[in-house]
Amino acid sequence: MIRQSSLPISRRAALTALGAGATLAALFPKPRALHAAPAPAKYFIGVYMPHGMAREFWVPKPGFEISYEGSSLAPFDDAATYGRSFRDQIVALEGLDLTAGLRSSTVGHDASRVILTGSGTNGQNASIDQFLAIEQGLGQQTPLASLVLGVGNAAPALQWCISYAKGGTALPKIIDPLATFNHAFGQFLVDPEPAAAARAAREQRLGKSLLDYWTTDLAELSARSPQTERDKLDQHSTALRELEKRVLGQTVTCAVPVRPDATQFPKVGSYQGGEPYFDVVTNLQIDLMVQALACDVTRISTLFLADLSRTHFDTQLPEDVHTDVAHRYASAGRSGMGSSDAASQARLARQNHYVYGKIARILQRLSEASLLDQTVLVAMSDMGDPAKHSSRQVPTLLAGGWGGALRAGRHIDLGADGTPSNRLLVSIQQAFGVESNSYGQSTDPSILSGTLALT
Amino acid sequence: MTSARIFCGSLIALALGCGNVEPTPSERAPERSLEPALRRLSTAEIDTTAQRLTGSVSNLARALPPDARQSDYSRNVAQSVDSLLLGQLFDESRSATERLDLSLPQFPPCAPTALASDRACAETIVTQLARWAFRRSASASEIERLLGLFTLGAEGADFKSGIALVVRGLLGSPKFLYATTLGSGTGATRLTNEELGSELSLLISGDPPDNELITAASRGELVSGLERERQALRLLQMGQARYLYRRFVQEWLGLVALDGLAKSSQVISGFPALRDAMVDETNEFVDDVFSHQAGSVAALLVGGYSIVPEPLAGFYGIQPTAPGARVNLTGLGRVGILQQASFLATFAHESESAPVLRGKAILTRLLCLDFPKPTDLGVDIVFPPADATATTRERYGRHATDPACRGCHATLDGVGFVFENFDAAGKLRTSESGRPIDTSGSVQLDGRLLSLTDSAALSSALANSEQVRQCAARQVVRFAAGKSDASVEQAFVESLKHESLERRATFLGLFLEFVKSDWFAWRKPQ
Repeated sequence: MIRQSSLPISRRAALTALGAGATLAALFPKPRALHAAPAPAKYFIGVYMPHGMAREFWVPKPGFEISYEGSSLAPFDDAATYGRSFRDQIVALEGLDLTAGLRSSTVGHDASRVILTGSGTNGQNASIDQFLAIEQGLGQQTPLASLVLGVGNAAPALQWCISYAKGGTALPKIIDPLATFNHAFGQFLVDPEPAAAARAAREQRLGKSLLDYWTTDLAELSARSPQTERDKLDQHSTALRELEKRVLGQTVTCAVPVRPDATQFPKVGSYQGGEPYFDVVTNLQIDLMVQALACDVTRISTLFLADLSRTHFDTQLPEDVHTDVAHRYASAGRSGMGSSDAASQARLARQNHYVYGKIARILQRLSEASLLDQTVLVAMSDMGDPAKHSSRQVPTLLAGGWGGALRAGRHIDLGADGTPSNRLLVSIQQAFGVESNSYGQSTDPSILSGTLALT
Repeated sequence: MTSARIFCGSLIALALGCGNVEPTPSERAPERSLEPALRRLSTAEIDTTAQRLTGSVSNLARALPPDARQSDYSRNVAQSVDSLLLGQLFDESRSATERLDLSLPQFPPCAPTALASDRACAETIVTQLARWAFRRSASASEIERLLGLFTLGAEGADFKSGIALVVRGLLGSPKFLYATTLGSGTGATRLTNEELGSELSLLISGDPPDNELITAASRGELVSGLERERQALRLLQMGQARYLYRRFVQEWLGLVALDGLAKSSQVISGFPALRDAMVDETNEFVDDVFSHQAGSVAALLVGGYSIVPEPLAGFYGIQPTAPGARVNLTGLGRVGILQQASFLATFAHESESAPVLRGKAILTRLLCLDFPKPTDLGVDIVFPPADATATTRERYGRHATDPACRGCHATLDGVGFVFENFDAAGKLRTSESGRPIDTSGSVQLDGRLLSLTDSAALSSALANSEQVRQCAARQVVRFAAGKSDASVEQAFVESLKHESLERRATFLGLFLEFVKSDWFAWRKPQ
């Protein structure tokens, strides 16, 4: 089933080999031999979770017990559903503040911007995924430098993005699994019929000429542009290089997956009738994302799970999860000073549980593809207490082996004072071998440096 | 309403307001100027040119990733060309050119039957296509390179395939994708003649410049503010402009968000279909106000009528009217755009009205005020608990009593409460939870605190406010510049002090004033 090829792989050939009933899981490469020693981190996955977190049902019990009644982390210890327990693959990290946002009025929903950038709305630096993919060159060797995905909302807008290009511009997300498939794998679909092959060869020739034409035009434009536009032009150059890789036809080392069946998700937009299909869309996005990693189409991906409200996935939750669950959450908080409503906490925990189930699915797929050890996965919301829209004390999930830079299977509590989330980003970049001791931008540079004790 | 009639009526008054004396064009930048920039076109602008190049309806606007907006404006200098956009442009331009029809009137008579070897015909077409895409005349070397694409595309295929590759080349060219405002020098600089033409056309009509404008630009005539204004008036008489001004109003008022909102089924059923009708109403109304009243700010706010699509009639509680007919809704409290369902539903929650959102929308978008977020002030947000026995206003009562909230919310809620007779979907109501609605409120306007009985009183006060007019001018600058620049906005506002109300109290007047001004034509040193 594993195809080592110097040529793009024919989808027909792959499907023939697999048979018509091939499942998505069957398309993954066979597990590789376990590493004798940890290899450095190679893959990055960042996930945005909506609706904040019900801390009451998130904090593990002593002994890292996460399967207690109502626990939102229970999917990570559910072998029956996800193939194995991932309890030893996760860290429940407590005590992070999105401090760069607090220092720059980038709070509440806007704080999603801070999660991977470590900077507020005026920040000019890239998010950690783009920093690794573009500035550190991790994306150079793969057809796609990164894969920026979402569910429900494609807009590259504040509140709706965690991936940002250098210069501070939000990146658009692909929210349609069919588009994800075409973007990640479409280039590898080669029809072996002679006429089709001739068309493809012609298209490649024309594509190269277009790229040459655009590259020349961009150089002319760059020559007369001010320095202030450099980031913009660099991003355009990156886009051209990425397209060039696609046009020239890079190789992949596994079979191309089955094209998603669009009849399963006739609509994909939030409030555009897409809600009933979000579950299948999320699953497909996750499967395609991990397959893209397994096929070395890319090594860097983010997934923005937009406001998963009005989905009716959980019939015990109200229709409008955003207003009637997240906004109605009543917590005493760590200080015990607020009002507390156990029923509201349980409701939010149910929604958190659903989303963690999707992250457990990512781990399941990574495990099946033997990528878990070298993957850095971080899942975070823009809020801790969603009713207060608070960017303080944001419960964070770390998962994967981080190439040996994470000792998992435990609860880390950084305390109630609030540790800047920038330290998490520093730790992530160091897991990938970047030696710098700071990440992000702020008028308060003291928050940018330092690491977390994760090993 | 036919497109040819757009703006004709209202332009007479504006044209009369034009100065008859040609001032000497400035020779240096104003003290406060915008930065030179590359502005990546919005998806709507890309789509418009794609339609022009291919002669057919383009699917690009839907296929490309959505715009990153500044404020809510899709004209945004921060946008760039990322990998996803370029990849999709590459794919979609191929699909678009497969539908290329060379028998359309925009192509010369030689086009439908030309052979792949007909370079003369190709050159004629390529020259015109490049004009549209680059928004200027292409140089000889640029034409030569495009003909190289033509030759490659036609090789082993046909004439049309050659033109198709040229169209793809143009749609992905950085020279098309970026509107430049760089000028030609390194010091403080005036836009080049070509940039003046390009900017003028994109700002006034949203279209590539036509041949007359390109000719005027190439002759250096657009250095003159008066000539820019004359050309702008000419462009306004062409139908395409209305789409631009619909978009401007939707983005200014934040109505673009409506497309991504839902309403609880307990509030309204069939909201998605009604939502389209809400947008249609506002579009028709904006067309009307821009056509007949030059986009008068007062007419938008207290026009006293609307044009209600049939699906919305029942929702408003009126009999359906003939398509396009004005209907007086003042008896229902709907005196202008702020009482249209599009605005009211946008600024509301799924299941309840949102006085804070409505108040904030008015204060930030019409008065250009800023408010800190509660968390900036160390104040925890506390959403009022659901209470089936209280009105929304009563549930928000804590805002008035809690000293931590009162500072901002006295202002925000005072404005927002006047809309309380409209529910989460914008439907008229007289009671809530069995209790009567209270629409009284207040607004600080032009330095005075005004008591209000309802939203109609608010609209009336806003319509006569100098503060609102000044904010409208700022919004025009934000839209035009593709960014917020408080310094240039303030300079533009100050420059309007002695202008007539036709000029400074109508959006078309403000757009003309900006186009005429040095802030349009000059940029800071690179």
